[in-house]
Amino acid sequence: MSPSHDPQLLKGVLSLLLLHLLAVQESYGYEVVQRLHELGLDDILEGTVYPALARLEREGRVRSRLVSSNAGPARKYYRPTAEGYDTLSRGTSDWTALAGIVSQVLSAPVPPEPTKGS
Amino acid sequence: MATALRWTDRLRIERAVWALDQRLYDLPRSSRIAKRREVRESLISASHDIGTAAALQRLGNSRQLAAEYLSAELGDEGRPHWFAAGVFLFTGQLVLTSLLTDAAAAFAAGITTATPDATGTFEWAGIAYLQDTVRYTFVNGEATWVGGAWTPLAWLLWLTATVVVGRLWRVKHMLRLRRNDPARLSAP
Repeated sequence: MSPSHDPQLLKGVLSLLLLHLLAVQESYGYEVVQRLHELGLDDILEGTVYPALARLEREGRVRSRLVSSNAGPARKYYRPTAEGYDTLSRGTSDWTALAGIVSQVLSAPVPPEPTKGS
Repeated sequence: MATALRWTDRLRIERAVWALDQRLYDLPRSSRIAKRREVRESLISASHDIGTAAALQRLGNSRQLAAEYLSAELGDEGRPHWFAAGVFLFTGQLVLTSLLTDAAAAFAAGITTATPDATGTFEWAGIAYLQDTVRYTFVNGEATWVGGAWTPLAWLLWLTATVVVGRLWRVKHMLRLRRNDPARLSAP
């Protein structure tokens, strides 16, 4: 079982993750959720991803199209727009820079916890 | 492994979709339909994979999901529709009542100007169909009056206009949607 992740941390990077996954492969909502789970992000639920996709669509960062499906109703496939690719590029740079700094800080050795009375 | 769906599973999915849809009335009709379709399709796919109970659980509470959809689509800023409607109704009533009262007073003033010691009953029709007749009764130039209230038709129009004003924010939203993605609803 994969470890659980801080929902606030995930929320902050969810848009970036979605844009990246959709840039790699055009997908419909449920498929995106499955791909996130395959990456080990089991705590991201459908109820979080679908509104996030709707938000990206409203912001003009992804566009959608309906594709008929043999398994049931037509599926709504998403892919990034040009603006989405720009956002992904900038977001990736920002995240990499931030993660580098945070990793550097967190990897520095911490002195032992002071004992009471010392 | 894919699981076949029973009719009870279909019913549970439809109930969840309906519960969500009931909370999405602020969205334009086309967007609501798109959300319904997407959630239904996803629930069916997930039900095949993990079972309906788990699929519904993973979708979460319909109230919260609807709130997230509304926030995602309409933005996080408030949608002050009731406030706007209330302000319109209050201001409109104040301005129009004041204007019509002045008009009726001008009618009475016209009578007393023409006949300073007028005696009798005089009627001002007001706005046809929207206002009751204003009836002035003069006794030696002193007037009392009755009437001038809004008719039921006028109240119906007020109500309609108030609802329309309360929903005006949707126009801005629809224009933004069209600007962002004109092909948003196009089929493949």
